Amino acid sequence: MIIKAKNSVKESHSFFKGWSVLSLRNRIAFYYTFMTAFLIALVFAVIYFTVERIVYRQFDEEIKKEISEILSDAKISTHDFKGFASFQNQDIDAAVQDNDNDNDNESKKKKKINVDTEFIQVVDNTGQVVNKSSSLSWCVLAFNPNQTGTTSFNSNFGGVMVRQAQVPLINSSGVTEGYLIVAVPLKNAMIVLHDLQDIFFFSFPVIILTLFILTRLIAGKSIRPIEKVIATAEKMTQANLDQRIPLPYHHDELYRLSATFNALLNRMEDAFQREKHFAANASHELKTPLAIVKGTLEVLVRKPREREHYETRIQFCLKELNRMARLIDQLLMLARYESNKMNAHIETIVLSQHIESVVERMQQSASTKDIAISIDNTESDLIRADSGMLDMIFENILTNAIKYSPTGSSITIAVKRVANTIVCSITDHGIGIPKEKLPAIFERFYRVDESRNSSTGGFGLGLSIVKKLADLQHIKVTVTSEANRGTTFFLTCPAEEVNC
Amino acid sequence: MRLLIIEDEPGIAGFLKDGLEEEYFAVDIAYDGKTGLDMALINEYDLLIIDWMIPALSGIEVCRQVRKASITVPIIFLTAKDTFEDVVFGLDAGANDYIKKPFEFEELLARIRVQLRNKSQIDDALNAGSLTINPVTHQVFCASNEITLTPKEFALLEYLVRNKDRVCTRSRIIEHVWDIHFDSDTSVIDVYITFLRRKLEAAGCGNIIQTIRGVGYIVREPGIS
Repeated sequence: MIIKAKNSVKESHSFFKGWSVLSLRNRIAFYYTFMTAFLIALVFAVIYFTVERIVYRQFDEEIKKEISEILSDAKISTHDFKGFASFQNQDIDAAVQDNDNDNDNESKKKKKINVDTEFIQVVDNTGQVVNKSSSLSWCVLAFNPNQTGTTSFNSNFGGVMVRQAQVPLINSSGVTEGYLIVAVPLKNAMIVLHDLQDIFFFSFPVIILTLFILTRLIAGKSIRPIEKVIATAEKMTQANLDQRIPLPYHHDELYRLSATFNALLNRMEDAFQREKHFAANASHELKTPLAIVKGTLEVLVRKPREREHYETRIQFCLKELNRMARLIDQLLMLARYESNKMNAHIETIVLSQHIESVVERMQQSASTKDIAISIDNTESDLIRADSGMLDMIFENILTNAIKYSPTGSSITIAVKRVANTIVCSITDHGIGIPKEKLPAIFERFYRVDESRNSSTGGFGLGLSIVKKLADLQHIKVTVTSEANRGTTFFLTCPAEEVNC
Repeated sequence: MRLLIIEDEPGIAGFLKDGLEEEYFAVDIAYDGKTGLDMALINEYDLLIIDWMIPALSGIEVCRQVRKASITVPIIFLTAKDTFEDVVFGLDAGANDYIKKPFEFEELLARIRVQLRNKSQIDDALNAGSLTINPVTHQVFCASNEITLTPKEFALLEYLVRNKDRVCTRSRIIEHVWDIHFDSDTSVIDVYITFLRRKLEAAGCGNIIQTIRGVGYIVREPGIS
């Protein structure tokens, strides 16, 4: 057992060193085994000490019985001791004989200690042996002069373990004249206790080792799905995000882990897909005008031409370049907003004043298409927003409204207070947006008209900018639309709390 | 040589048409995939230039449909899609070549010439007897005498020589040398043939273009007849 303990100390030393790299299943097995080892040790100890106590109690009772028998046989009272003469050898041996009927006298004569019988001894108050049973032969029982009660204790003489008790013999004047010591051999009990100890000591490491191996096996089996998760995750690269973790059979934590992981992968794949689309769209939108300008100029310089021809081609190129510059502006703006480098300076703003100033600026382009913009606000409209960003939102939405409205139609801007928000609606009577395309309109480069041709002049970035700006100011943007009937944008702005 | 450009950006289609017509090609333009596919299936073109991202039907789909109809016309993809996966995908869909935008116009011309080259040809020069046509420089030689031709005359002669030893019907000549907007009056061919014969005769290659009565014209390698 000691060797085993030493080993385990050594083990645990290197084991703490490698704790951080220990696999989960080993760690679970270790934890579990440690806890169980502690509990088993505790249970063993409780059992052992309980058995020991029961055994000793039995001996103590036997001793007590013996003492009272001897005293009654010798007609001695412990409180009225009449002198050692009361003890006769015959009495003592008779007492031993009484309790040891099957014991033969031969053994006593051999001057050997008979371990199966009781031992009785009488000492005076200095510890001098006055009388003793012949079973003791030449040996003497231990005497503890400091002990006053009749408590039992273990001792041994001549290599024999005994349980003994001593009774003080007090004379009538209250002086302790001597002691009666009675002992019974512990032989059988000691064998039982030793066996019990041996069983515990040998079974303990076996149980612990078996437990460790089993726990390790079970832990390994139950965390096997984790290995699958790891294997799948290792195989995953940006290029093949389509891999998914096979869901385990049991609906447990590992199932949830796998499902959560898969959901995360779905979102990531979506995001990557959107980024890829965005990159493809951006490159198409940038490369096309570049290709046009480059190609036109290349063809132009191949041969000498008329002045007029040059002028029309160069004008055309300039138009394309302007368009490209606009796109780059918008892309950069979007990039700045998305990297969140732009902070909204939220302040209290009178919404109607803002709308009026934006409408005034847009009036020119609206009048070329003979579109009337009317503002309808009756309620107080103090909101919390960034004025520059708010302007841009209105400009973008109004530009779209004008662009997709037929000549001579009207655009209505209304402001309404709903609970503690101000809702601003911008309604046009233009071509509208088909229902199935509504969810996508805030995506970058998304255009309802899929041909992406430049005749309407847009890039599909305006509404993504609107959305981004609105998000920065905690403004909610929603849209309802009906094809060929018109579109309404709703801006739900946080209202300034007016303290009355 | 008659080309079809399927391209939705008017700017790109415009300068391609300008530039290619200056190179004596007859150029038709389709601004969406569906129209383009119809034109490619109905008319006989010598080469298709297709943009990938076009409305109605994607360039890839047009390409597949054309190949499905067993038309072996060379197809060049012209697109802003520029990853190698896109290139591979495009070529696998049946394209013969792939040019990424923005591109050099000269490079496009060179690639068009490569596609128009016969399989047995080592360079772009076309020969018929002592007649040599260089489509790169637009020069025509009879032995060592250079012949000056107008663009239409050049285009007509080039078409006939590319199809030498085969009868070119009047309708095919009209289709390949004049663009789609030309009316079906084929008598204009006779006028140009007369001009060509006169110039060739002056240079010493007089009998190279022969008339197949009621059908069209043929350029024959001397000695085969």
